[in-house]
Amino acid sequence: MSSQPNRLAEGGAIDRSKTVRFSFDGQALTGHEGDTLASALLANGIKLVGRSFKYHRPRGILTAGSEEPSALVELRSGARREPNTRATTIELYEGLEASSQNRWPSLKFDVMAVSQLFAPFIGAGFYYKTFMWPAAFWEKLYEPMIRRAAGLGRGAGVADPDHYEKAHAFCDVLVVGGGAAGLAAALASARTGARVILCEEDFRLGGRLLAELDEIDGRPARDWVEAAEAELESLPDCRILRRTTVQGVYDGGTYAAIERVNDHVPLPPAHEPRQRFWKIVAKRAVLAAGAIERPIVFGDNDRPGIMLAGAVRVYVNRYGVAPGKRAVLFADNDDAFRTAVDLAEAGVAVAALIDARKLPSAAAQAAAERAGARYLSGAVIKRVRGRQGVKGVEVRDASGKTESFDCDLVAVSGGWAPSLHLTTHLNGKPQWSEALSALAPGTLPPGMSVAGAAKGAFGLGSCLAQGHDAGAGAAAACGFTGGSGKASAAADNDRGTVSPVWQVENSRGKAFVDFQNDVSVSDVKLAAREGFRIPEHLKRYTTLGMATDQGKTGNLNGAAVLAQATGRYLGAVGTTTFRPPFTPVAISAFAGHHRGQDFRPARLAPSHGWAKEQGAVFVETGPWLRALYYPLTGEEPQDSVNREVANVRTKVGVCDVSTLGKIDVQGSDAGTFLDRVYANTFSVLAVGKARYGLMLREDGIVLDDGTTARLAEDHYFMTTTTANAVKVMQHLEFCQQVLWPEFDVQMVSVTEQWAQYAVAGPRARDVLQAIVDPAHDLSNAAFPYLACGNVSVGGGIPARVYRLSFSGELAYEIGVPARFGDALVRAIMEAGAAYGIAPYGTEALGVLRIEKGHPAGAELNGQTTAHDLGFGKMLSTKKDFIGRYMAARPALTDPARPSLVGLRPLDREDRLRAGAHLLPKDAEASAANDQGHVTSIAFSPSLGHWLGLGLLAHGPERHGEILRAYDPVRGGDVPVEVRPPCFIDPEGERLRV
Amino acid sequence: MSDRPLHPRSALAGIAVPGRYGAPGSEPGVTIAERVGLGLATVAARKEHGEALKQAVANVYGIDLPEGSRIVQGPRVSFVGYGPGQWLAVSEALDGEALACDLLQNLKGLASISDQSGGRTVLRIGGPRARDVLAKGLPIDLDPRAFPLGSAATSTISLMGLQLWQTDDTRSYDIALFRSVSASFWRWLTASAGEYGYEVVGAGGA
Repeated sequence: MSSQPNRLAEGGAIDRSKTVRFSFDGQALTGHEGDTLASALLANGIKLVGRSFKYHRPRGILTAGSEEPSALVELRSGARREPNTRATTIELYEGLEASSQNRWPSLKFDVMAVSQLFAPFIGAGFYYKTFMWPAAFWEKLYEPMIRRAAGLGRGAGVADPDHYEKAHAFCDVLVVGGGAAGLAAALASARTGARVILCEEDFRLGGRLLAELDEIDGRPARDWVEAAEAELESLPDCRILRRTTVQGVYDGGTYAAIERVNDHVPLPPAHEPRQRFWKIVAKRAVLAAGAIERPIVFGDNDRPGIMLAGAVRVYVNRYGVAPGKRAVLFADNDDAFRTAVDLAEAGVAVAALIDARKLPSAAAQAAAERAGARYLSGAVIKRVRGRQGVKGVEVRDASGKTESFDCDLVAVSGGWAPSLHLTTHLNGKPQWSEALSALAPGTLPPGMSVAGAAKGAFGLGSCLAQGHDAGAGAAAACGFTGGSGKASAAADNDRGTVSPVWQVENSRGKAFVDFQNDVSVSDVKLAAREGFRIPEHLKRYTTLGMATDQGKTGNLNGAAVLAQATGRYLGAVGTTTFRPPFTPVAISAFAGHHRGQDFRPARLAPSHGWAKEQGAVFVETGPWLRALYYPLTGEEPQDSVNREVANVRTKVGVCDVSTLGKIDVQGSDAGTFLDRVYANTFSVLAVGKARYGLMLREDGIVLDDGTTARLAEDHYFMTTTTANAVKVMQHLEFCQQVLWPEFDVQMVSVTEQWAQYAVAGPRARDVLQAIVDPAHDLSNAAFPYLACGNVSVGGGIPARVYRLSFSGELAYEIGVPARFGDALVRAIMEAGAAYGIAPYGTEALGVLRIEKGHPAGAELNGQTTAHDLGFGKMLSTKKDFIGRYMAARPALTDPARPSLVGLRPLDREDRLRAGAHLLPKDAEASAANDQGHVTSIAFSPSLGHWLGLGLLAHGPERHGEILRAYDPVRGGDVPVEVRPPCFIDPEGERLRV
Repeated sequence: MSDRPLHPRSALAGIAVPGRYGAPGSEPGVTIAERVGLGLATVAARKEHGEALKQAVANVYGIDLPEGSRIVQGPRVSFVGYGPGQWLAVSEALDGEALACDLLQNLKGLASISDQSGGRTVLRIGGPRARDVLAKGLPIDLDPRAFPLGSAATSTISLMGLQLWQTDDTRSYDIALFRSVSASFWRWLTASAGEYGYEVVGAGGA
């Protein structure tokens, strides 16, 4: 076990007394509590962390934050393996396992790195240009080949074993970012009594204050952070969400945030989620997301050991790590040269300060002196030595002379750019700021203000002042005008002259603009030559900014190179669009609880448990689980269905129909209302009677069907199909509220209230008479076909009986309040035992209705009219109803329209297939000869062969004709005979016995 | 056979088993109790009879019908407003179908009544972390400033429609779910409450 050779003896916000063991590529290492994986790797002297996406170039650690493009690793193992995780944001925990990605066989020796040799040939658009032809090769050959060579980490390949959840939060003021400006904003707003939520991406509050040796109110900034944190925690209406990244801004002051609740521990504790997806609704928001440092582009600028200057200060000052032994600084601003002083104080040798600005800077010079380093102004790095780690740099000075410096660390800075991504999520456009040489927030989302570095105020004093004002202002806008307390004060550091240097011309080696997608200066220039002059186009052609980091460190440089290549002013080139999420989000976090059986809630009928006991096999019908069939032990599905059907035809069966939509329609105008929504008439239906009803859409197509019973003068009970229940209820509410608000009619869904069972078969009456309380007479005389009424069961429990039949047999439906459903079905089974009762599922229900020629879902398919289904006569001519006029359009009454017919195979041994096309007997199988299709099929145990329903042009006129049922998908070609749809008891005598 | 009594069964029977679950600790963060046997019925004012209905409810049940999403508690029956001219009547005294029968008798011609006593599962979710649990599914601000005592709402949790109200305990909420989603809701609820520790109180039905 190594001993963290690059760990400084003292300093930093880590706990040296607590050692944390971890491994990288199988190597056992240690770090300390408070480390990130990146800081711990650096402490162990590990700089080579991964291989790049396209060229497999060795890569190290560029930044110390979530903008990291290079140091991507696979974290954890097995089902919890997370690819492309940024080492700079992973909090070190005991037993952490990480491995490098996109290398084989090892990180140091990667076979695919030979692709670098071909780099000159695989520039922008290479794939588009090279693999164009033949097109058929793309899917089979080129794409798999490219995908193998390029790419980053591997997904786990199995389901994530952890739980993720969502949560909602509401506040007056949301503060995004817990650095100097964010803390000041949170304090100023929370002190007023406003409800405040502070989201900080890091596991520790403080932001840059953790990385700088600044003072606030005359004391060390870190003490100020601690005091601010303590004060915020003491305020009852202030909530601090650490490890929480605000990912997106949406309408109505809605913000999405991901809280990494348990990413910093080996396993989430029992009952806790790994991550929580917050939906935060805030009246006002203060964006204090800080700034992101820009690299300077030069040849081989991606070598491990080249790091942003601000990140170097983070590793030195926050983590107590020396990222190298001998450093060279290369920057175009004074802020970066502060790094030299911090490094020197930490005991790191600083060889030289390479100032890209033409005019020497006094502040930089002073820093060089304090660090004991050479100072070269107007100089640039023209070459980097070392492949898997920097060994030195060659510098070209203002006079053109070359000088060489040995070093293992190059700290680079092209200045800071506001982290303004969230300001653009609602179409806000950033504005070019000449003063900042960067984009600054432009138009803001409603309710958002920006403070501190995110607004381009890089001085600490300005950050504190702006944060305070923004926080107090946001609270005041929410009506909290109480005291915001005193703003804290600090000095602003002098940034010095800003004269940005974007790239070094004529430096040796590939100069990278976008590290994660391996986009170089030559790619951008090539794209410009080929006419891609707009950043959005450049992005899509070169993939600049399209990686998981969305080009946080590369976009600006890309735009600058493009501006230069096209001879334009950088401020006029524009930018690409930042979209949520701000950082990559695991799919599991979006899913939350909705996985596996909870992907959608399942609706269970009141006797679901009973059906399960019977061994039912269930099927999803919309959101419901319904019993498909009830196999006996060892019974094949088809045998079970045959038995269930035969049992209904010869004895008696029971079927759970609780899932049908049920709607109470009440009021003095209920009858008139139903006349308008149904194609047939209901106002004249007698109390105590039920009727089949057909509902049309406005366009004349059938919407739904079902039976409606009249329970009282002003009370109808409507049923709908299971699948259309919600749609019908919405339709009725629209009709009532918008079309005819003058009607006295009230509707409410009672689907859930009634457990309802169909009892069907020749012995149905015997069974049901034994179920209802003795006072109720269900004889044919007292309770004829289509009668309905209130009864009681089980000694006074209110129930309703409807004499309806879908099967064509003597049948009743009986409903009880749902909590008695389980008991009722058991009672029915008990009472029916003597008559040979058996439950039947939806599959048998389907067979029974096909035998009877009743249309259902496959025929009510949103394309059929009443005429198509043989219901033309039901369309009332005596009243108006929805769909009446549109249904009368010539095209909808054309007899050539495919209309309902029955079908049976000419050879009774043949099997029919739903979906088969109906063609004239001797016609060629072509689309021109297509005359319809088979909609539903079933094996009829009653008839002993397959039969089907179909929609056939001129159908009703063609009974007796022989057709081909042609099924190219499954290779079927069966001669069939066209029949009337009803195969069993066409006179309906069995219904009325 | 017909005099064989039929026993009611809660949709959570065998699912909501009394006991202490989730993260251990001295006091459970959340308590969950099913309110079994409640009388529940929807009451919708007949057209042009709104005022007469209010009067009748005041006379018979001793309360003023709430306007908007509120619950008003009466001595025997409480009314939860969930839409213009629409209420859910809730009663412990008049259990099961008795409530709908009573309403039908007393408000005949003034309102359309539908028994819902079998169609809902009503849970009372309480304890110091009740609001934190509900925040994991409910897109409504339950802070007392936004949702004071007597508030009611119609909303969804985890894609399941529900009605929610708070009567007299600032830590406790009643939630009426559609019966059919009870098992799915229970899985969401227990997964969400686990980290705070929760106690299932009372019998979840036979």
